[in-house]
Amino acid sequence: MKLFETTHTFFYNWSHVSAANWCKYPNEKCPHVIAIDVLDRHVDPETGILRTERLITCQQNVPRLLSRLCGGNSVIYAREVSEIDPKNKVLRMTSCNLSMNNLINVSETVTYTEDPSDSSKTLFKQEARIKCGESISRFANYIEDFFIQRFRDNAAMGKQGFENVLDRLTGQGETLLLHKKV
Amino acid sequence: MSQSIGRSCDELKKEYDTCFNKWYSEKFLKGDLRPECEEIFKKYRDCVLNAVKNKNIDKLLGEARKDDPF
Repeated sequence: MKLFETTHTFFYNWSHVSAANWCKYPNEKCPHVIAIDVLDRHVDPETGILRTERLITCQQNVPRLLSRLCGGNSVIYAREVSEIDPKNKVLRMTSCNLSMNNLINVSETVTYTEDPSDSSKTLFKQEARIKCGESISRFANYIEDFFIQRFRDNAAMGKQGFENVLDRLTGQGETLLLHKKV
Repeated sequence: MSQSIGRSCDELKKEYDTCFNKWYSEKFLKGDLRPECEEIFKKYRDCVLNAVKNKNIDKLLGEARKDDPF
């Protein structure tokens, strides 16, 4: 099993970040995310928490071993469940792969919280766990290393892509022109 | 805006996302929790669930929901 963790501070307030979260895709830094759909959504009337279930469709190269075991399909589906607590300013999202889950389990938790020392900033934390199934345990190290590196690359691109989205939504800088091109 | 898993659902998705994003910023974040966009969401979701079934992902989703119910 391999673990991955990263943190970041966005120089935008939590409300702006949580709203921009719904507009994160498409962005030019994350072409592997090709579709996102909301499957279910409701507000808990007691807690005021907005809970959303989404289906994410990705297209990305996977190790040939996995590709062969899955009939050469490079389209991967993942399920994301998120909770937004507007009173405490917490957005938490958990996602895991649906495709290939008998071979490998990739689960990720992302949280966005208001910086307690500066309400104009938002703290971001991302944790991922990658574990191969028993049937391919011989190759676990190689496969898990591949996915950790992929995760690291996607996380870096994702952060940059989200910064662009945040800039665009506040109408700042040349990223507005980039969006118009798309 | 991002695409849908079912390309025929793209327009419904766009309509729903637009409605939801407006509600989220102008109502939800300001403390008004009354749901909106329900009619368009139903149409959009029906389209998506149909696409999910056509692509045989419904069983995978069902299993994932058992482990972590929505």
